[in-house]
Amino acid sequence: MESAVRLPILIQGSKSTRPEEEKMPKWAMVIDLDKCTGCQACIVACKAENNVPHGSPEEQRRRRDIYWNKIIAVTRGRYPKVQTELIPMPCMQCDHPPCVTVCPARATYRREDGIVIQNYRRCIGCKYCMVACPYGARSFNFRKQDEMEYHRPDLPPDPGSREVWPFPVRTQGVVEKCTFCFHRIDRGIREGKRIGVEVLPACVEACPSCAMAFGDLDDPQSPVSIAFGSRTAFRLREELKTNPKVIYLPR
Amino acid sequence: MERTYVTIEGKSRGYYLLVTLLGLGSVSLLVSFIVSYLKGQQVWGVSNIIPWGQLIIFYIYFIGLSAGAIIISSLSYVLKWDFYKPITRLAVFMGILLMLGAMFFVFVDLGRPEKFWRLFGYYFLNNMTSMFVINSIFYVVYMTLMVFYLWLIFENKKKWAAIVGTLDVIWAISVHMGTGAIFGLIGNREIFFSPIKPFEFLAAALTSGTSLIILTTLGVFKFTGRHIRQDLILSLGNLLSWLIYVLLVLVFVDKLTHLYFPGREPALYLFAGNYWWLFWVFQIGMGILIPLFLLIYPQTGRTVKGVSFASLSVIIGVFGERAALVIPGTAYPQHFFPGFMEGIWGKPGIFPVTVWESLLCLGIVSYIALLFVLGLKFLEILPAQEDEAIVAVEGSNPLLKKMG
Repeated sequence: MESAVRLPILIQGSKSTRPEEEKMPKWAMVIDLDKCTGCQACIVACKAENNVPHGSPEEQRRRRDIYWNKIIAVTRGRYPKVQTELIPMPCMQCDHPPCVTVCPARATYRREDGIVIQNYRRCIGCKYCMVACPYGARSFNFRKQDEMEYHRPDLPPDPGSREVWPFPVRTQGVVEKCTFCFHRIDRGIREGKRIGVEVLPACVEACPSCAMAFGDLDDPQSPVSIAFGSRTAFRLREELKTNPKVIYLPR
Repeated sequence: MERTYVTIEGKSRGYYLLVTLLGLGSVSLLVSFIVSYLKGQQVWGVSNIIPWGQLIIFYIYFIGLSAGAIIISSLSYVLKWDFYKPITRLAVFMGILLMLGAMFFVFVDLGRPEKFWRLFGYYFLNNMTSMFVINSIFYVVYMTLMVFYLWLIFENKKKWAAIVGTLDVIWAISVHMGTGAIFGLIGNREIFFSPIKPFEFLAAALTSGTSLIILTTLGVFKFTGRHIRQDLILSLGNLLSWLIYVLLVLVFVDKLTHLYFPGREPALYLFAGNYWWLFWVFQIGMGILIPLFLLIYPQTGRTVKGVSFASLSVIIGVFGERAALVIPGTAYPQHFFPGFMEGIWGKPGIFPVTVWESLLCLGIVSYIALLFVLGLKFLEILPAQEDEAIVAVEGSNPLLKKMG
């Protein structure tokens, strides 16, 4: 019976206009390391989209700068026979997130569509989730953000293009993290757009080499499912069984 | 014949000087708390790599001291060894204050301290899979039990004190094991992750609690011109040496497990990384080897001076043990991807000791000490001067008797 219900969706392709009660999507991201050039456009796009502060040199030295999405460089071998891989690491949006398990205040929780969200109003700032996160995806807000970081003189004065998120809600003393740009996804669903095709997280949208794909993993026609099925794939720290929804394709 | 308890007069110059000094220390708590609340935790040494710093070290340390003090206090009421009566009230009172101090440390460590009440107000409505929530329930009941226990002792209701005391001891054990589980259950931090972490915490709590009681008893009795039975201190020293053996075995088993299998880099980092001295000098040297030597060697182990030096060493060493867990445990970089991680993500974190964080710790410690000193003045905690008849009734050291 269920296959009969799902059949129209298969024919329609990746349409997010289907009724919400029918089936929850499972948002996932595929990062093709073979295509990734390590340009870090995703990091910059993330910082711009979510107004993540740049962090002063002092903060970077003390390792207090906030990263929602980061790039790590991993090398194998020694010069001249050396291979370097640059790996973008957003929040892995685990299916079994340790941060949600340890959060005392229920401030971080997993939405039904699988996105792990941090609620700043509930967060008490105990930093237990940062200790428990196997991917270093969480950052603590060590200070009040400067006014300058809100008002962004470098951007054109077009408030209509930006929603309320996330400008006024950044709070000192709470933990924050990547949200898979859920504000874009939610707005896209409301407007009936195709998620993964028309609507993308900022990092995926900014990738110049199209190394990242985003979409519903349960939908076989979504870009993410197609990319996932194309080659061998792996997840980071699979031995911990957190079951991340950010999937990597090896070089 | 019953032992009587008295308040101290508290009118001497030394007493006022001590209260003033501790009061000044408590003011530093207020100032540094306001500064860190307004400026954010950027004024501390914590970072995104080492999220827990000095305050969490002190927090688990104080919980341990409290649990240890309560368990030691049980010797007289629960096990009915009247020999230890002179220090029971002192130990329970210290247990309450140290627990209060631990709660202060958690409170100021939070990024949003004004939401502290949620941990203790919602109970099971919080996320019950979090060890913090389970512990917060433990702590509330523990605090209540301790206050009730002390009240029963003050009222001299011996039968009830024995019952509540037993409950309190069981609860103190679970409180501190729960605190150990905060770390022991974190599977992605290899230095934390261990099923015997709660037991290790318990053993460390007992050694540090016993040592603190020895030192406080000696200090308070000397300061108030009281006579303390030497064999009481010596028997506590004897107990301490056995507790240190247990701690040594547990630490050995824990580290051996981490070291035995090829995935031993985290353990090697703990032994030889940039925080090797926390482990070797403090945890192993001052926490275990030096006090063991002082207690076993007959010329020092049979004197009050030797026992008090051993206790001092344990007090510092167990603090180092807590630091050697919290700081290197998170400083060791997590390996997200096979291969050599370049740049900052592959480097171990560094924890600088900063002024405001240290002042906060100093402030809380002096505030607790101030409450203790004031408590001696207003509560009947200390025994009246020794009386030969009472000493005869209370008998000699039961521990030594049992061991033959």
